Amino acid sequence: MTRKTYAEALIDALVERAGEDENFAMIGRGILGHGAQAHFAEPLMEKYGHRVTDPPTAEGAVASLGIGAAMAGTPMFLHFGTASFAMEAFNQIIHEAGVAHSMSGGQIKVPIVFHMFHGLRRGGSGQHSLSPQSMFANNPGLHLMMPTTPGDVKGMLRAALKSDTPTLFIDHAALLGTEGEVPDGPYEIPLGEAAIRREGKDVTIVATSRAVLWAEAAADRLAGDGIDAEVVDPRSVVPLDTETIVGSIRKTGRLVCVEEGIQMCSIGSEIAALAAEQAFSSLKAPVVRVARPPAPVPFSPPLEEAMMPGPERIIAAVKTVMG
Amino acid sequence: MTAPPEPGNRVALFHCMVLMRRFEEEVLRIAQDHPYVGRQHLHIGHEATGAGVVSALEAGDLFHTNHRNHGYLIARGADPGRALAEIMGRKDGLNGGLGGPWHLCDRSAGFQSTSAMVGGSVGLAVGAAFGLKTQGSKAISVTHFGDGTLDEGICYEALNLASLLALPVLFLCENNAKEGQRPSSMLAAKVLHDVPDALQIRSMVVDGRDADAVAATAAEAVAHVRGGSGPVFLQADLERWPGSHQTTPEFPTGVTDLSLAWEEDRIEGPHAEWVRDHDGLRAYAKKLLADGTLSQDQVLEIDRGVLAGIKEARAFAEASPYPDPSRLLDNVFA
Repeated sequence: MTRKTYAEALIDALVERAGEDENFAMIGRGILGHGAQAHFAEPLMEKYGHRVTDPPTAEGAVASLGIGAAMAGTPMFLHFGTASFAMEAFNQIIHEAGVAHSMSGGQIKVPIVFHMFHGLRRGGSGQHSLSPQSMFANNPGLHLMMPTTPGDVKGMLRAALKSDTPTLFIDHAALLGTEGEVPDGPYEIPLGEAAIRREGKDVTIVATSRAVLWAEAAADRLAGDGIDAEVVDPRSVVPLDTETIVGSIRKTGRLVCVEEGIQMCSIGSEIAALAAEQAFSSLKAPVVRVARPPAPVPFSPPLEEAMMPGPERIIAAVKTVMG
Repeated sequence: MTAPPEPGNRVALFHCMVLMRRFEEEVLRIAQDHPYVGRQHLHIGHEATGAGVVSALEAGDLFHTNHRNHGYLIARGADPGRALAEIMGRKDGLNGGLGGPWHLCDRSAGFQSTSAMVGGSVGLAVGAAFGLKTQGSKAISVTHFGDGTLDEGICYEALNLASLLALPVLFLCENNAKEGQRPSSMLAAKVLHDVPDALQIRSMVVDGRDADAVAATAAEAVAHVRGGSGPVFLQADLERWPGSHQTTPEFPTGVTDLSLAWEEDRIEGPHAEWVRDHDGLRAYAKKLLADGTLSQDQVLEIDRGVLAGIKEARAFAEASPYPDPSRLLDNVFA
């Protein structure tokens, strides 16, 4: 175990994979974005920079470049930058990568990881702040991972890089600088295994990506009020660990879903539906979702701040379900 | 299953073209006999282009087709019975019935995903070229598409990438825009290869109805691409088959009669001009007769052999059951 940043752990996974498989290739500019953690990509670029293609600004064709290469037997890691840019390649992701294996009767495999940063980032406005996870989850044939901790990002990225299923790997740039314990050497975190970040008996808070940190902060403060919250981090949205999530809801009888996506047809909507289908008789209160309001992201800082499903909104939601 | 034609073997090239034609005619018959087998996009009239280009390729080369894909699959050796079964959505189809007529796929014959998103295969072919180059392979990537595909933004992006990275990809543009009709492309550029030319991609133009010319030009294009000199844009000019865009299963030019290669006064009907002047298959039969490569009997014998094979293929497809609905989720994830 070594204490390191999320950014370093992410790069570790790429360096390890590149060292193992000389056929593995990467496409993208600024894999860690352009913020304070960008320099953590240096170990990758120094050793394997020649295997990172710096593409033109053409996300659709760049996605095709990765998908076609993966189909031809070259495992790929493709970095889009902001998730908003992946919309330029939405067609290629869902209509080429996502369907190829099934549509070819299992003949074609597409070992590719689509990496992107989602969410509110301060100043991203209406075109650089997208959280596309539920949009992607609504399409077949694509795994969807959203890590939260440095230990998870390394093991989950390794699992994604070794998978023959195309995987959306949706990070949040605000996580890059967070620190945590990271196991040394290669390891995989299996798909579809949720993590219980904090055990509790009164209410289940299911949160994804950066919202997990807010949920944990909220749970700390709720403990001071005598409310014992359980925080569940699905980690992978597709496949979804319904067993752990439903188990927690049955135990606590109360559910709050938290995420940065827009509430309509959100991941929280899916979890709420699961609760209704599989834990209905355990529920002691209506489910509450905490998500992004249905408005384009505003530039003005206090307005953007008001969009965030932060600790204050989570605490208010928990108090509502506690009655 | 028939091996793809080898370079210089003109009889094999002709045989391949007959096979492509008779296969597509059988697809039309199936569409007549079955209430619903999807919408067909037939490759009739493109045989000289298809077989000519296929003859210039090697087994490991990766081919990316669009919705008008059947001819290429058959030309490169995909089993006609399994191809017809796929077109009918049957269990023994090439894709197990999950792809259908727009998405025939046979990885063993060098086909990757067949995209019916217009321009999709162009981007994927550039990607496969990138993969092959990364692997240090000498194989090349090929994609075919109609002139209308150049309207799509992905083409511009993909051509640019191929040129920037000097990737081993052959862009085969089947230009069947017909003057006087609504063109399938609506480009401001009136000369199609102006687009790749502007992006520093070598372009070549060939009469797509002339199988010998296509085979020779394609061989030159493939040598350029395989030699590591970057992509080539090969524009094959064709005259669109009158049934190309039809929504009902009819034979607008009739069932092919190869004896029209030597009995030209029998060519008649509303589309006589297409049969007489633009059907590359009839033209090639006529040429092989004229230069003594084949006799009339040999032409008819090749045709009879192909038809017998197609009959068997049809019987195989008809006998194949539909896949069991329980298989629906089998290959969603790899």
